[in-house]
Formats: sequence, structure tokens, C-alpha cells
Amino acid sequence: MPEVKEYTTPHKPTWCPGCGNFGMWEALKRALSQLDLDFNEFSVVWGIGCHGNGADFLRTQGFHALHGRSLPVASALSLTRPDLKVIVEMGDGDGYGLGMGHFIHSVRRNIDMTCIAHNNQIYGLTTGQASPTTEHLMRTVSTPGGVLEEPVNPLGLALAQGATFVARGFAGDIPHLTELYKQAIGHEGFALIDVFQPCVTWNKLNTFSWFRERVYNLEDEGHDPSDRRAAFELSLTTFHEMTCTPDECRVPIGVFYRDDEVPTYNEDATGAGDPGYHKATKPRDISDLIAAFG
Amino acid sequence: MAPRDPEAVEVRIKIGGPAGFGIKAAGQTLARLFSRAGYETFDLTEYPSLIKGGHNNYHLRISSEEIFSHVEPVDILVALDRDTVALHLDELTEGAAIIYDPNDFDIGEVAGVPDTACAVPVPLKEIVYEAGGIPIMRNVAALGAVLGHIGFPLDYLTRSIEQQFAHKAPEIAEQNVACASAGYEHARDHECAFPYDMQPRDRDGERILVDGNEAAGLAALAAGMGLYCAYPMTPASSLLHFFAKHAEKHDIVVKHTEDEIAAMNMVVGGAFGGTRSMCATSGGGFSLMVEAFGLAGVSESAVVVGLFTRPGPATGMPTWTEQSDLRFAIHASQGEFPRVVLAPGDREDAFHLTWQAFNLADVLQTPVIILGDTYLSDNRQSIPPFDTSRVEIDRGEIITEGEVEGYARYRVTDSGVSPRAIPGVKGAEQIVNSYEHDEHGYGAQGEDAGVRIAQNEKRMRKMDLARTLVPPPAYYGPDDADLSVLLFGSTKMPVREAAKWLEREDISINIMQVVTVWPFPAEEVSEFLGRARRTAIIEGNFTGQLQSLVREHCLTDVDHTLHRHDGRPFSPEQVRGFIKEVLG
Repeated sequence: MPEVKEYTTPHKPTWCPGCGNFGMWEALKRALSQLDLDFNEFSVVWGIGCHGNGADFLRTQGFHALHGRSLPVASALSLTRPDLKVIVEMGDGDGYGLGMGHFIHSVRRNIDMTCIAHNNQIYGLTTGQASPTTEHLMRTVSTPGGVLEEPVNPLGLALAQGATFVARGFAGDIPHLTELYKQAIGHEGFALIDVFQPCVTWNKLNTFSWFRERVYNLEDEGHDPSDRRAAFELSLTTFHEMTCTPDECRVPIGVFYRDDEVPTYNEDATGAGDPGYHKATKPRDISDLIAAFG
Repeated sequence: MAPRDPEAVEVRIKIGGPAGFGIKAAGQTLARLFSRAGYETFDLTEYPSLIKGGHNNYHLRISSEEIFSHVEPVDILVALDRDTVALHLDELTEGAAIIYDPNDFDIGEVAGVPDTACAVPVPLKEIVYEAGGIPIMRNVAALGAVLGHIGFPLDYLTRSIEQQFAHKAPEIAEQNVACASAGYEHARDHECAFPYDMQPRDRDGERILVDGNEAAGLAALAAGMGLYCAYPMTPASSLLHFFAKHAEKHDIVVKHTEDEIAAMNMVVGGAFGGTRSMCATSGGGFSLMVEAFGLAGVSESAVVVGLFTRPGPATGMPTWTEQSDLRFAIHASQGEFPRVVLAPGDREDAFHLTWQAFNLADVLQTPVIILGDTYLSDNRQSIPPFDTSRVEIDRGEIITEGEVEGYARYRVTDSGVSPRAIPGVKGAEQIVNSYEHDEHGYGAQGEDAGVRIAQNEKRMRKMDLARTLVPPPAYYGPDDADLSVLLFGSTKMPVREAAKWLEREDISINIMQVVTVWPFPAEEVSEFLGRARRTAIIEGNFTGQLQSLVREHCLTDVDHTLHRHDGRPFSPEQVRGFIKEVLG
């Protein structure tokens, strides 16, 4: 079993001190180590954003994709490389803004992969603009009068589209997040973990202390993760007043919903049972096919 | 009008009517029948972007001799509605037959029908009714009438019908045969005789009937493609259908994606995993793919992209043809990176360039575009079966288990190609990156000036290697000619046809087809133009994109140009007229 520290590269993280990405990085390394995944047995695909800079810090055989486009790259990898565990790391602007179309379609396909969303409710790398998950009416450099839209509800959208594993984590609770990652990676199908990871530089509202006062563990309150309706109700806690007190807006973390019986896209798709590179070792015999055009 | 080959038996048939009448399927049945009867065929389908109504037509050229393209004239017009007659009157040859249903319209009331035309009334609907068939069987009755008019043995059609419907209830084939026979008898029973003697003939060798997309699809399968991703867009959609149909037997992943952005990003992901991956689209879809196309360049991903042009910009003319994406293909994406653009001129090219595209992509670890157009994508020609013994697979420099000591994904090498380990190989840690990156793929050092220069120069060196690997231009015609014509893509077909006609008029032309349009073969083009008596470029766009490449890379120009941008392919008649005009 590789040790946790072996999942690092020689590159020192460049995230801001206190950034929520540190907790997510640590939790993923622990999960990979505890699942005994060697460096050639999984592949991580990142989008662009502060989270994406993590591509330099995690030891893997991975792909640092375009902004918003990590899911299609990872989908193809999952469908053509059944021998690899595929993990996507995406941001909230990246995955729920530019990549929203891919997100919805990846969910409804139930492609076998783990999708970790670094949700800091702000654009970090481009210096503080509103993201799709920024709270309604919050002021940012791109919305000096406050955000006029309701935030995107990623868990609700995923549930509505038939997601088979939906969870929320908090970067401030690494042991809990590690367990969520392990469950998600072990799930066959599309597993979404939306992780609140405070941006200490640009988001002065949703801070670590803001979350610490509000998060609670679903398991502690007896939530049944096979109850899809209850999960959907919970997902509506995404929407609340910006000024809400800890009592008024509690933030559930844990597994909202899980169904392990749904077949994955990979199981039913043609050609997805065998690594794709096996198919190009010698020319395919197409003589029958050519004859059919006679 | 096109001159008839005095040695050849040649007949041109057009079937026209509203969309939804199964016109293309009927036409292809006829093409298959004549191909099996020893003739060469070339079809041209014209259709608007709608499902019902409008005007569709299918033109079939049938010849006893080798042919290279469609032609304009029509010897037999099957008019499934009145509009068809009016729209195609000026294409009718002297003595041409018009097969129509007298219950649909009175041909005497259609203005401009020449006196020499032979009206062949066939009560198509009544025939279908009497046979107990369904309305679409009108086509079959009409095909029977075509053979009846020619005096061609009907059993070629009835056998084809029996084969086509062998897997359905027997009465379906019986009804179709009844329609065909009745149509045949009606057409025998009229006063004007068919002017040509056309009977089944012996021909050396077998033929297949394929369009450009089918040719490319067959080659991609032969090349071991494992992933195809696309969003439907005319004229590339039929390639998606082709792969989807054969996915199970040939064990490939075929994905109709949410959009072209996903399609292109998916094939990059597939290539990352070591799978031969392809997508195809037209200009609008490629516009959406462009960012990820650049990703393939900087990440050094071996992807093959079909870009089949239709008239643009934006939605343009969806079902028509043009050659206006040459510069787009060469320049698409921000930044600079090596790419190869191959432009097939016919079905044979489409097959052989497509399997070669996969090898070039793998060896160079960079994207390769197959630049086609609707004219090639949509239309079938009878050709000898593809020589699959030529297909080779070269996956380039691959590092396998046990060879990973000191592995760096983007190792700076003399050739520019960094031997790669496919993910999964133990010890081959790597980041394949959209950011500029160091030798291992990490972005952290990518912004260092020295690293940037080393990686950028490494990638661009692959262009020098590409020049030694890509298919050279193709030449047709004598070394010394009255006119030397430079062209790319499907324009090859009508120009070769025109060259054949002109030869009979003692006018010689030679042709250089720029097969690899990028890297541009400046040396060969310069040499070709330099030794020509007079020069011309024929290309299907407004601005002269091939001409501009000649000016830019060869520092020379041509004497004459011919452009077309009305959505129609060049016809050999038009090319012949142009050449005769410029040669005075």
C-alpha cells in the first residue's frame, strides 16, 4: 500500500495558506492510500482553476484538461480504459458554469467515474468574480451590486438527472471527506461529491468558520441514503438568505443518495469492455463489410 | 451539354420529387443494379434541409467506361411531382424521356417541355393500389418503368428487390415485384424508342458502391479505431450512423455526445488512454471543437478529425457543398502547434488517407484533419474494392512496462517526438497538460521562458518530421500540357472528367492535386507551376484559399482561376467550358 506522502510530487502547492484545496488534497491522498491504489491504477483529470493547479501536486498518470471540459475527457477515458479508476476534479465555475452541459449529461449517463467538485462559491484563479454557486446578492468584483441569480444547485440537479451517488463534503473535515471519497471511488457509476472548500482570499462570506457553525453530518441525524425524495429535499438547503444565522441555514454533509443497482453506461456500451489500445495492434479484418457494399 | 463518349454506352437518369418519397434509396437501388450489370455508376443527391416536402433529386450517371464525376444532362427524368419537370427541363437531352404519373399532373400543361421529349405516362399510384402495396412503392414502379423504357432485363430489379426484402414478410417482396413488373410493362407500351442499346455487359473485376463517408469509415475500422464521438451535423452524420451500426461487431465505443465540444474533448481523452480516436463534423461543429483541437496540439494527442465542409458561415446551406474551410482547417485554434491536413479527392483517397491519418497522428502525436466536403461525403461511385492489404498500423514510439526508467512524457528530442507511455504502465507518472509544461508535463515550470521555448520548439520540430511522412501531391495527365491545373479535394473528380473530354478535343491538361494541404507542399507546387505553359486553380470557394497559399508559400501566382460557391460541386461541363475559354 503506497503511503499517503508518496502521492505527492516534488512540486509544493501554490494555494493560498489556509485554502480549502489543502484539505481536499489531503483527503484524496488518504483515500487513495487506504484503497491501496497504485499510481498506475487510477487517473485523475482536472479542469482549470485553483483546484486544477493540484495537477502538479498529486502523483498520478493524469490529464490537466481545458476549463470546463474535464468530464468529457474523463468520460472517454472511463469508456476506453476499464482497467483504470477515473477521478475528475473540477471547480464550481469550471464544472457548473462552462461545463454545466457536460455535468448534466455525465450524470444521466451514469458513466463510471468519481467527480469531485471543488466548490468555493467564487472564481479564485481569475481573482474573485461571482461563480455559478455564489450566494444570491453577494457582492463580487463582477457583481458590485450583488449576484442577481439564484445559485446552481448541483446536488438537486444531479438527483433530478438520476445520479446514482450524490454526496457533499467539507474541506474542513478531512476524516469525513476521506470516507466520502472512498465510498465514491468504490461506487460503480457516476459519483458526485460536491465539496465546500472555502476560498480564504476572495470569499469573505462562506468562510471556514461560517461552515463550521452550520455543517452537520447526515449519518448522525439518521438520513436514509436510499431515500431519493429525502435527498432532494436536503439538496434544497443550497438556497438560503445570505445573512442567515447558523440555526436558519444548516449545511448537511455526507451521502445524500446512493443506488448501487443501476447499470453503468460502461456495462451497456459497445466496445467498453476492453482497453481501447488492444484494438489497434493489427489491421481489423473488414473484408465482409467491404463485400456488403458490392 | 456534355459530349458523349463515342465509344461508351452512357445513360443519365434523374429521379425527383418531394422529400420523404424515398428517392435516394430508390436511386441507390438503380445504381446497385447497373453496377452489378457491368456498368460504372456515379450518383449525385441534392436535397434541402427538411424531412417532408421541398424538392429532392437523385442523379445517376451510368457508363460502360471509366468515369470520374457526375454530369449535368438527363436522358430519363422520373418526375414524382410536377415541379420536378419544370425544375429540370434545361437538363434534358434530345429525345429524353419523362416518366410520370398522369394522375398527378397533365404534362401538356407544364410550360417549356420540348417537343423532342418523350412523355412516358405510368399510373404509378394505380399500380401500387392494384398490387396492394403502400405509397412508397411508387418508387419501385418507377424503377420498373425506367428499365422498361431502356429495354433492360427486369430480372436485375426483381432479384435486387427479393434480396432487399428477404428478411421481411414474403408478401412485401411480392408486392414490390408486382409494382416493378407493372411499371415495366407500362413503359414498354409507348411510342418513342430509347435511343441507346443498353444491355448487361461483362466487366473485368468487382465493384463496390461507396460514398466518401463510407470509404473513410471503412478505413477507420481497418485502422483499429476504438472510439468515435460526434454530434449530428450534415454531411458528417452518416459516418456516425455507419460506426454506430458496426460498433458491436467491431467492438468500438461510439458516442453521440451532447455537443461537438464534448466530442472533441472525448477523443482527446480516448487518445490519452491509448485508444485510436476520431470525431467528424462540418464547419459549425468544428468551430465548437476548436479549443479542444488546440488542446490536442499542446497535449500532443493523436486524434483524427473529419471536417466535411458545407457552405458557411453559421448554419449556411446545410445539405450542399463547398471548399471554403481550407484556411480554417489550417489555422484553427489560438497559438501555434503542428498539424496535418489531408484532403481526399475521391473515395479511394478517402479510404487510404484515413488509415494513414491514424498513423500520422500516432507517429507525430498531433491532430490530423481529414478535410472533405458534402460532394464527396454524400455521393456514391462504383469503384474496385479497397485494397486492404495496404493498410498498416504504426502506433509511433511507445514505451512499455520495464522501459520507464527516467520516463518524461514530453522529453525534448531531436525529432520533436517524445516516446510515450500509455497510462497504466507502472512507473510512468505523467501529466498530459493543456497548460505549457515541463518535460514531465507539470505546469509549474511551464511559464519558465527556457522551458516554454524548449517545449514549443520541440513540438514545432514535428512539422519537419511531418513533411517527410505525409502523402505527396498526386499528378494526372501528361507532363507537357496546354494548361496545368492545381486543385485540392473533391474538385479532382469533375476536373479529371473534363480532362478526359478535352483530350478527345486535342486539348491537354495536367492536374496537381494537393493531397496534403498542410504542411503545404510548396516545393512540389512551385515546380509544377514553374514548368507549366499556363496555369489555373479551380477551387470551390469565393476568396481563393488555395491560391492564397500558393502566393504565400510559393511566392508566385496562377494565370487563371475558377471559383464556385453556390453550394453545387463543379461540373465537368463547367470545367471544360472554363478551360476552353481561357485557352481561347
